[in-house]
Amino acid sequence: MKTEKVVLSFIAALLGLLVAASAFYFFQITKKTPAPQTKIVSNITPTPSLVPSIYLDLKQPKDEEVVDDKTITVSGKTGGNAVIVILINGIENVTTPSLSGNFSTPLTLANGQNIIEVISVAKDGESKSILRTVTYSGEDF
Amino acid sequence: MQKIIFISIFNIFLFCLIQNTVVHNVYSQTITPDIKEQLITNIASRVAQLKLVEKRGIIGIVSNVTNTQITIIDMQNNTRFVDVDEFTKFTSPASKGVYGISDIAKDGTLGILGLYNKESRRILARFVTVVSIPKVVRGGVASIDDKNFTLDVSTIDGKRLAIDIDYTTTTYSHTLQGGYVRSGFSKIKENYSIIASGSLDPKNENKILADRVLIFPEIPFIPKAKSQK
Repeated sequence: MKTEKVVLSFIAALLGLLVAASAFYFFQITKKTPAPQTKIVSNITPTPSLVPSIYLDLKQPKDEEVVDDKTITVSGKTGGNAVIVILINGIENVTTPSLSGNFSTPLTLANGQNIIEVISVAKDGESKSILRTVTYSGEDF
Repeated sequence: MQKIIFISIFNIFLFCLIQNTVVHNVYSQTITPDIKEQLITNIASRVAQLKLVEKRGIIGIVSNVTNTQITIIDMQNNTRFVDVDEFTKFTSPASKGVYGISDIAKDGTLGILGLYNKESRRILARFVTVVSIPKVVRGGVASIDDKNFTLDVSTIDGKRLAIDIDYTTTTYSHTLQGGYVRSGFSKIKENYSIIASGSLDPKNENKILADRVLIFPEIPFIPKAKSQK
């Protein structure tokens, strides 16, 4: 009698355990975990406003950049009918953008700090300029 | 009674074991390649953030100097703090002897090359050089003085400046058809758009001694309100 009781209670407990475990298992399987909240970082590039007839977006070079090559590329985008004047330490280089407004010009730097001013002049006389400081240095520090 | 307690403990132990196994399986299944990739990206981005120091070169006008720090106003009109130490080298093209931090004067123009700390936003200078910045003027020709070879230019920010054309001044013009060609003082007319670079006259701060002049005969006078910097 005593043995029967023990066996029965053991079987009952085991059955209960199995039911609980199965219930938990199904709960975990069907549970929907919320998607991780990833922060979407978008690089907002300044889009030109439609109000002024001229805009200028300079892709290269970056401001305060230090380079170990004397030749750099100045590139960007402006209005298709504009004239681009690039002044390196006051010495001008004139170029014209493509029909889509893209321009890219290789230029030679002087030793040390170079002030690069890119001016876009539109046909109607409007203009816009961007200033960059680029340093040419072969020093290792 | 003892057996009941024993069975209960055994049940609890078994339940914990099963639960642990199930939970582990469920969570290991949820780590998808997307999450793994996101984790790798996040870790990589954090590592990049830790690269706090980079080489930078700036130019600015000195607003304050101490033995260990130079405060300058950079080309974008921002105040910048430059630290100097025993490894910082000072040079000036005008100085024949030894040049040091004590020789740096307020309102002087310096070129700083050093290590920029992104967190503190300070530069630890390695090379400090006295530089001269050319003055660039853009605007429209308001009047021409043929006798003194001087142009009166209305700048885009509404100022009036005199541009002194010397025999050493190189003049170019740009047209749609002709492109970028050599020009001269006699070709400059009123209302032409102009870009001139040179140095400020030490005797007259409203006068530029032009080194180079670029005129745009086809482009009209630049309206003050429209042009932007």
